[in-house]
Amino acid sequence: MTETAIEVENLSFGYGKTPILEQVQVAFPANRFSVLLGRNGSGKSTLFNIMAGLQKYRHGSVKLMGKERCKLSFSDCARVLGFLPQFHKSVFPFHVKDVVLTGRAAFSAFSPRKSDMEKVGQSLEELGISHLADRPYTELSGGEQQLVMIARVLVQDPKIILLDEPTNHLDVYYQTYVLEKLKKLTENDLTVIAIMHDPNMAFLYADHCYFMKDRTVVTPTTGFDFHASDFLEYVYDVRFTTVLVNNKLMVVPDRKTDNRIQVKP
Amino acid sequence: MRKVMTGFLIYGLPIPLLLYSLTVGPSQGLVFADYWEWGREALSGNIHESSTKVYMLNNIIGNVRLPRVLLTFIIGAGLASSGGALQGIFRNPLVDPYVLGISSGSAFGAALAIAFPLLHINVMAFVLGVASVIMTYSFAFSNNKSSIVAVILSGMIVSGIFTASLTVVQYMSDPYKLQAIVQWTMGNLHHASWDKLNTAALPVGIGIVGMYLMRWRLNLLALGEQEAKAVGVNPTADKATLVALATLTTSTSVAAAGVISMYGLFIPHLTRMMVGPDNRKAMPANIFFGGSFLVIIDNFSRSLMDFEIPIGIFTMLLGAPFFLFLMKKNKINWV
Repeated sequence: MTETAIEVENLSFGYGKTPILEQVQVAFPANRFSVLLGRNGSGKSTLFNIMAGLQKYRHGSVKLMGKERCKLSFSDCARVLGFLPQFHKSVFPFHVKDVVLTGRAAFSAFSPRKSDMEKVGQSLEELGISHLADRPYTELSGGEQQLVMIARVLVQDPKIILLDEPTNHLDVYYQTYVLEKLKKLTENDLTVIAIMHDPNMAFLYADHCYFMKDRTVVTPTTGFDFHASDFLEYVYDVRFTTVLVNNKLMVVPDRKTDNRIQVKP
Repeated sequence: MRKVMTGFLIYGLPIPLLLYSLTVGPSQGLVFADYWEWGREALSGNIHESSTKVYMLNNIIGNVRLPRVLLTFIIGAGLASSGGALQGIFRNPLVDPYVLGISSGSAFGAALAIAFPLLHINVMAFVLGVASVIMTYSFAFSNNKSSIVAVILSGMIVSGIFTASLTVVQYMSDPYKLQAIVQWTMGNLHHASWDKLNTAALPVGIGIVGMYLMRWRLNLLALGEQEAKAVGVNPTADKATLVALATLTTSTSVAAAGVISMYGLFIPHLTRMMVGPDNRKAMPANIFFGGSFLVIIDNFSRSLMDFEIPIGIFTMLLGAPFFLFLMKKNKINWV
């Protein structure tokens, strides 16, 4: 029914003798919003860097739309895949539209074309941030900066976008805003794959959730239902209580001791 | 209105300024009428039959002032655009063209050539300038990677080594040679000649045109390495090209005119205040305004007093306070 956007098979990777990924096996379906969850240091970012081509791999295979990742050139890859790295800080106060315009650099060598400028306008509009076009990027709030960086990935016209913690450091308003927009992008033939830390936000918006534990992607043996708390405990090493809200699974971590917050009179 | 003003400062200023600068100099007793007559005679092409005064003036303008003004302009343009490019590549507004050790390497090379006449001064200055950049990079690389901090740190250490070596050469030189070495390190545009201009013009020209063509790529590099890769560009090749162009430009200008310190640091800041950080506009501004401003400084340095103040020193004395004033006025605050 659905094709596969990225297929990872038997991928192993390590820095020196430290293994980071071991025998990773996962397939992300096309035109869906998939979320990758897991504890810090479980290998999520490394897996993303390899899928995005920032890191080379030797063992295993990574296929983008059926083509082996390491055989694609930088610019061929840019036509298929856009990547939003985790941390971003600009030193120079570039205007938002100039920041977004650099997303076209793989296609226009020395100076941007007029069509590139139009694409910038479109993607700013798509994300509802046209009013920021002439503001200096460095003066924006964290949420606005994140939207600008997403717009920068969109001007590439990719088929797949990878986002490393797109909702990090954002308030609840921007978290839902960003996730709504990402979800909406999958309706326009785009595959969105994101790393997230909040399981509840993932359950609310994602079509598919994937979990990483001990350097590999794990899937629950049974279906993802009320027994999910056992599986989540295995992934996060924390006990959870699960509830259903509007037919969506929500989890709340259990507290280990019951020391209630004391409010002094 | 502001836009027109900055447009004029950048693109309108150079030609009239260069023409005016031909009339600036220590030669006493020349008045406007002399220049007028020289201009008329020069245009009609019968300078050789003119009066001795006009003939002398022709010599002063053609063989002394013209090469000097042109050399000053291309060196100013070269240093400013190299500074702008390197600040973008290293994503650091504190960087100047000498950050990779070029200036101290070249100064050491020139000192060697003055103290022990082995080779031509300019050649030695150029060779050691390039050598210092290669040293800086080879020390900064480990596992085929180099962080920005490692490059800048390595550049400072390489600079330190060459500065110390320069001091050793100075210590061992006799007073006459010592004076020549010290003069060279302070910048020496007063030795400008057609010869020097001819040797410097091609490498500086290649460097400037190259950096101008890469101006939009520079925006991408200035956003960061990960961000470039994220949109499908391998920044390593772009970076290497720009560093090579900046090195070519800077070491050529150091070889031709000595060390003009801080110029490549503050001009990119001035142009950023004028046209904003977008390198598509800032790069041409660096080239034209960078050229003009050094010509202005040089005009002061050769007309303000009876003796000539070395351009390297005068740049600091005049340019630095001007920059500090603008920095305060525009409330520049880097995060």
